[in-house]
Amino acid sequence: MHIPDGFIAPQMYLPLYGLAAGLWAYGAKRVARDLDESTLPWLASLTAASFALSFVALPLPGGTSAHVTGVGLLAASFGIWNAFMAASLVFAIQALLFGDGGVTTLPLNALAMGFAGAVAARGLFLALRHLHAGLALFLAGWIGLFLPAVLIALALGAQPLLAHDAAGAPLYFPFGWSVTLPALLIPHALLGLGEGALTLLGVRQIERLRLRYRHD
Amino acid sequence: MSERGKLAAWLLALVTASWLTAPSWLAGGLLAVLLLCGRDAVRLSRRALLATASFSGTVSLAYLGQAWWQSRALPLDWLLTVNLRVLLMALLTFLFIERVNLFQALAFSRRLSFLLVLAVSQSLGLKRTLAEFRLGLQSRSPRPAGLRARYRAAAHAAAWLLDRALANAHESAQAMQSRGMFR
Repeated sequence: MHIPDGFIAPQMYLPLYGLAAGLWAYGAKRVARDLDESTLPWLASLTAASFALSFVALPLPGGTSAHVTGVGLLAASFGIWNAFMAASLVFAIQALLFGDGGVTTLPLNALAMGFAGAVAARGLFLALRHLHAGLALFLAGWIGLFLPAVLIALALGAQPLLAHDAAGAPLYFPFGWSVTLPALLIPHALLGLGEGALTLLGVRQIERLRLRYRHD
Repeated sequence: MSERGKLAAWLLALVTASWLTAPSWLAGGLLAVLLLCGRDAVRLSRRALLATASFSGTVSLAYLGQAWWQSRALPLDWLLTVNLRVLLMALLTFLFIERVNLFQALAFSRRLSFLLVLAVSQSLGLKRTLAEFRLGLQSRSPRPAGLRARYRAAAHAAAWLLDRALANAHESAQAMQSRGMFR
C-alpha cells in the first residue's frame, strides 16, 4: 500500500528531499563512473525491470499475495548505487506518470527502500556469502524488505511529534511509534521471508541464464 | 504557460497544499482545483479517490476507532483536514498528469528526457509480458497452482525481467551509440 501525499509533514519531507538530492547526485556520478557511456540505457533498463518487479506477486500461504520490492535482488546482483538509482526512478515514475504513491513521500521511500534497504541487503550479502551463499542471499532479501519497514514506521510514527496543533492533536499521520512499529514490523518480518526466498531463487536463476548464454 | 512552467506551478501548489492545516483553506483549494479540472472534474476526482482510498480509509477508520475507544469523542477536525489535504494533493497530481506532457516538461535536460522515455517504454513492455506470464501459469495449471509452483513462477519472472533488462541496456546503448547520441 503506497502512502499518498498529505500524511507526511513538510517539516520531514523537505529535509529528506535535501538528503536524497545529495545521494541522487552522488549516485548519478557513481553509476556514470562505473558504467561509462552505457549508463543511460543501463539505468533505464534497470529502472524498467525494477518497476515491473513491483508487479510480481509474492505468493503467501492461504492463496493471497504481496508485491515484491526487489531491492535485495537488485542490490545483491547489481550493487547499492544501481539499486538505489533504479528504485528512486521507479518511485518517481509511479508518482509522476501513474499517480501511485506521492511526490512528498518519494524521498522517504527512496531513502528507506532504495538506499537503506540496498545498503543493508548488499552489506549482509557480502558479509555472509563466504559462510553460506544461499543463506546470505535469503537474508539479503529479508533485510532489504524489513529494514525499510522499520525506517518507514519510525518516520510515520514521528509525525504527531513533528506537527501538532496547540492542544497536541496531530495534523498529519496520527499514530505514534507504539502503533506504527508493530503494525509494520510484524507483517513485514513475515513478508521478508517471501522476499528472501525470491531473492535466493532470482539470483540463482540469473546466474543460470548468464551461464547458458555464455555457452550459446 | 510552457510545460516547464506548469511543472513548476504544480510543484509549488503541492508544497503549499502540504503546509495547509485549516479545513476552510483546503476546501477552497479543492474547489479551485475542481474548477481548473473543468469537464474532467468528476473523472479526475474519482481517480484521486480510488488512488488514496485504501490508505486514507484504513488510517481514518483506525484513528476514529482509537479516539472513540479512548475518549468517546470523534476527531472530526483531523478527519476533515487530513482527508481534504490528501484529496487536494492527489487531485493536483492527476490534473498534472492529465494536462502536462512530462516528457516535454523535462526536456530542459536531454539525458533526463531520454532516460524517462527509455525507462517508461520498457516498463510498459515488461509489465505486459508479466501479465502474459501470469496467464501462462494459469493456462498450464488445470487446478489453481500451489505455493511451490507460484514461487517458482515468481522467481522465474523476476530473473527473466533482470535478464531482459541486461539485454535491453546493451541493445539501447548500441542503438544510441550508432546514432551518435553520446557525442
